[in-house]
Amino acid sequence: MSNVNAVTFTIVVVLFLVVTLTGFAAARWRRAEDMLHLNEWGLGGRGFGTFIAWFLLGGDLYTAYTFIAVPAAMFGAGAVTGYFAVAYTIIVFPIALIFLPRLWSIARVHHYVTPADFIRGRYGSRGLSLALMVYPHAVTGVLSTKRRDIIKRNMALLPIYSIMLGFIALLGYVALTDKVTAANVKKAGNAQLAVPYLFQHLFPSWFTGIAFSAIVIGALVPAAIMAIAAANLFTRNIFKEFFKPDASPRLQTRVSQWVSLIVKVGALLFAITLPKTFSINLQLLGGIWILQTFPSIVFGLFTRWFHRYALLAGWLAGMIFGTVAAYNVSTPTTSHWAGSVDTVFGHTVYIGLTAIVLNVAVTVILTLVLRVARVPAGTDETARPQYTADPVDTPAPAPAAAVLGSEVSGGDLPSRLAFAACLRGLPSRLALAAPARRSQRWRAGSSTAGTELSREKSGLARMSTVSSRMRSSLLRLSSGSAASRCACRSLARSSSLRTLRAWANRGCLMRRVRYSRNTSSASAER
Amino acid sequence: MTQPSATPKTPGCSRSPVAAHPVTSAVIAILILASIFFAVWVPLYASTTPKIGDFPFFYAYLLIYMPVLGIVMWIAITLQGKLRPGPGAKHSSAASDGEVAR
Repeated sequence: MSNVNAVTFTIVVVLFLVVTLTGFAAARWRRAEDMLHLNEWGLGGRGFGTFIAWFLLGGDLYTAYTFIAVPAAMFGAGAVTGYFAVAYTIIVFPIALIFLPRLWSIARVHHYVTPADFIRGRYGSRGLSLALMVYPHAVTGVLSTKRRDIIKRNMALLPIYSIMLGFIALLGYVALTDKVTAANVKKAGNAQLAVPYLFQHLFPSWFTGIAFSAIVIGALVPAAIMAIAAANLFTRNIFKEFFKPDASPRLQTRVSQWVSLIVKVGALLFAITLPKTFSINLQLLGGIWILQTFPSIVFGLFTRWFHRYALLAGWLAGMIFGTVAAYNVSTPTTSHWAGSVDTVFGHTVYIGLTAIVLNVAVTVILTLVLRVARVPAGTDETARPQYTADPVDTPAPAPAAAVLGSEVSGGDLPSRLAFAACLRGLPSRLALAAPARRSQRWRAGSSTAGTELSREKSGLARMSTVSSRMRSSLLRLSSGSAASRCACRSLARSSSLRTLRAWANRGCLMRRVRYSRNTSSASAER
Repeated sequence: MTQPSATPKTPGCSRSPVAAHPVTSAVIAILILASIFFAVWVPLYASTTPKIGDFPFFYAYLLIYMPVLGIVMWIAITLQGKLRPGPGAKHSSAASDGEVAR
């Protein structure tokens, strides 16, 4: 295409620059509480309201694919491959309404950043959480919202975009009936050009510029979110899990930022250097693969009945079957990867669907087997009420931490030092969220501890024992409510003192035993 | 498939509100299931007639479906919001604590 329209091109460049600069300005718009925390960088501080979430999720779900590929499919093959996208966006919202609020709640309570974090916590299984490396990036947008209701509301508001999608899809037919455009597209031999050619032919060049820049910018938002999602995934579930379990939030954020950059560069190289068929095949496979994570996440949000190894085996079966089946699809012109549908018992069925039926079947059968064989099911760090929890600005551990703080701040020097050390590992918001009276005492306690800490820097390093007072308050914490149990566990995880961590861990363990005993006796009474 | 089995639990999310408002919960479940069904059951609307304006029925149906879906979802969410403050449990944090303490 040598004849580039100057007006169109200028408008595209200018709008692109405007959006880029707006992006940089937005970074200064709302100062993050602590930019070097993964919550802030990766999930916008989990603080987005309905309005922003609507734009974020909308930009995430309706991509350049929507503007280009859907009308192209309408142009090339008709409603079966093009208009299905409209029906798809209809069913996706009610289905999402069923499980996304639960995912949001549990992620909020336990500070999960990725779905793999949830799987890790729910099933206590590294293997299964590793299996979930592929996931829909829309989850990242969902987790960045402030309140539970915001996701629900968006499930009612997002269909508004779909109305637009319905009309955009019909542009494919407009291109088909517009003789000049149809001829142009046929000459170029690429149906993806249907909408660009249509705009070029029908509209003045300035408007074409606006439309083209909308397409380019529309590709940016999901690309950014995908890169962040991939980076979070690497940081939380590979880097922190396998290489540096005691990575500080600051380090995690740094790693995530770098990985996000690497992902973007990698994606660019991927798009430029590899043959086009390769990326189309990968997209075809991606749909099938992502679908296979559905049982682990969605079933896991409702029940702990399924066994972790069964879920892993089911996932593996689905992945292998889906990949092989997609590989074997052939048409007279292409020998492999020719499509995503297969013939099952005389019906044409999407391979992903066959694969997930197989996946679930394997999971159910193996769960029954593993349960009979009494294979350990792993520890579940979540509790049922947490799936419907809607903490405002209060991460669950806060009140209990405040109690602990007020108790410890009245204690002797070692316990105060130990507590100050814990505090540094906990999210900074805790201080704000604690009930006023307690938090005052708590803050006073921790600040004195802080000054004492700076005065005796070497003291902290040398201190190897936790005072008896600290021990008893930890034990009391661990036998308390779900919230205090959470606090105990986060202390256990974040504490830099080995003894303290060990004590908190033991407290959690005792608590769990007692909890399961209580619930089993309660159900027996019923 | 596996979806329906998970659905009935959803409306109230924790068990007690569903038990407390069986009718509302059922209405929510029906609204959600119906909004999925009427899109998934393609033979229902895969026809050219009756035409609505110049649109064949298939296209018009899906175009009209979208705003209707938005409204239906809104109703479901509003009903769900009414479910939540079950008897005796006003505060969400109090409810979660109470449930464990039991």
